Amino acid sequence: MPKAVNYKSNSIVYFKGDINEKIYILNNGRVSLNYNDIETGQEMHDLIKTGEFFGVKSAMGKYPREETAVVLQDSSMIAFSVAEFEQIVLQNTRIMIKMLKVFSNQLRRIHKQVRSLLRSGNDVTDPETGLFNIGEYYLKARKQKQAIYALRRYLTYYPSGKYASEASGLIESAEGGTMPVSNISSQGTTSRTPGSDLSDTAKSYYNAVSLFSQEKFKEALSGFKNIVEAGIDGEYEAKANYEIGRCFYNLQNYNVCIKHFTSLIQKYPKHPDLIDALYYVGKSHEGSGNVDKAKGFFKKVISMARAESPIMRKAKKALKGLEV
Amino acid sequence: MALDLSMFNRFAVNFQPGDIIFCEHEPGDNFYLIQSGRVQIVKIIDDLEKIIDILQPGELFGEMAILEEAPRSASAVALDNVKALEFNRENFEILMKGTPQIALKLLKLFTKRIYDQKRRFLILTLDDPQAKIADVFLMLSESQPVSDDSVNARTFMTTVDDIAHWAGVSPVESKRILSQFASQRRLEIFPDKIIVQNINDFARFVSSKRRSQVSE
Repeated sequence: MPKAVNYKSNSIVYFKGDINEKIYILNNGRVSLNYNDIETGQEMHDLIKTGEFFGVKSAMGKYPREETAVVLQDSSMIAFSVAEFEQIVLQNTRIMIKMLKVFSNQLRRIHKQVRSLLRSGNDVTDPETGLFNIGEYYLKARKQKQAIYALRRYLTYYPSGKYASEASGLIESAEGGTMPVSNISSQGTTSRTPGSDLSDTAKSYYNAVSLFSQEKFKEALSGFKNIVEAGIDGEYEAKANYEIGRCFYNLQNYNVCIKHFTSLIQKYPKHPDLIDALYYVGKSHEGSGNVDKAKGFFKKVISMARAESPIMRKAKKALKGLEV
Repeated sequence: MALDLSMFNRFAVNFQPGDIIFCEHEPGDNFYLIQSGRVQIVKIIDDLEKIIDILQPGELFGEMAILEEAPRSASAVALDNVKALEFNRENFEILMKGTPQIALKLLKLFTKRIYDQKRRFLILTLDDPQAKIADVFLMLSESQPVSDDSVNARTFMTTVDDIAHWAGVSPVESKRILSQFASQRRLEIFPDKIIVQNINDFARFVSSKRRSQVSE
């Protein structure tokens, strides 16, 4: 059973190095987690807010406490066993998703610190070059199947990229080399196969996306328009339709952009990028000087978007920018 | 945790041995739950393909991309015939809400990964390459349950290259140090395993190095 516990000021809930399976939530009072930063050795003090859990990672991972929990003023908290804690978060996915975000950030940070010490941390290659290099690596290692996969993926994402022609050449030589093409794709009913099996529509879509990312908005726009006009694949048609609006926005055709997204929203009321579309309508109003309308759309986005999502942050930022 | 995942059958994908499931640097928006077969996580570092992990049925992978929309930091390759469930950002929240057990699995996975990376960071902060390599064995022994405490020898199913990777020491130098340890009869090297004669000897060695580093 979860147990309410009270601690006097200056007492210790647990010491660094303790092995203890309890997870705590602070009800009131002040608790600080003290530890030394692994990079600098500097002593750190993280203050726990009321309503916040602590001791989660070491209890769940069954490893020694990494910090000392010091009570700064008389506090009350509830202590859970790992099993009890799991029951709570299983019934409250919001808490769990929030924790997942915190942990994934910590993980990114420690990954980065490790990499900086490994000094092969000069793998700050951009993803485009990185992906191409992997194709090259597998080719050198005579792993044709893997090489073809990586190079095909490269061409899927960067069909007009800087190594595109080189990649096509390498694929050809890899295929001609040792293994029949039919071996590349995996078998089985629901097997997903490498980039080769992308439909033509998908290819033109990714091509246009690539042009967009290179800020060639006009070329991208005509690419997306072709997909919509051809009307072969409903899924890509809807995606392309959304991208057309983004092209108009980046070309600063604000009125056209607003019209386009308005009709898009009518046509696809459940479009996966609906909230983003509203954001661009707001940005277009902002661009044409309609501050009030812009604010209205940003507020709408904020009311609909998921907490902590990138679009939520963008809309909040945009709204704040207008309120100064 | 026995989970009924039959409702997710439409998300099932199959891979053959050697198939790349996703590739380092590729933009990632899928993550996977292995149902059968094993998956290797590999990374190409300094023109060498390093095995970072081998994952078993029931394990999750590719989960970083879904939370942070970043390119893949490593590749996933099917080791056997693999059947996995493939989820993406759109159905992620549905999945988390509908099957919070999977979210909990993720949470546990993150705690483990954070701890492992911190432990690795500690190895890398040692200056002496010999101490680094000894500390890799300590790290490996911490995550491996012991049946009999009174026995000091430990067997590790690992290779020189793996040790080099964890220690952040070049394979050539790692080999030199390991054979030095072997000539001192502190360990024995086999093609598929390394036996450390006295793990406590390594523990003393590493902690004295760490102390002298701090007092410097």
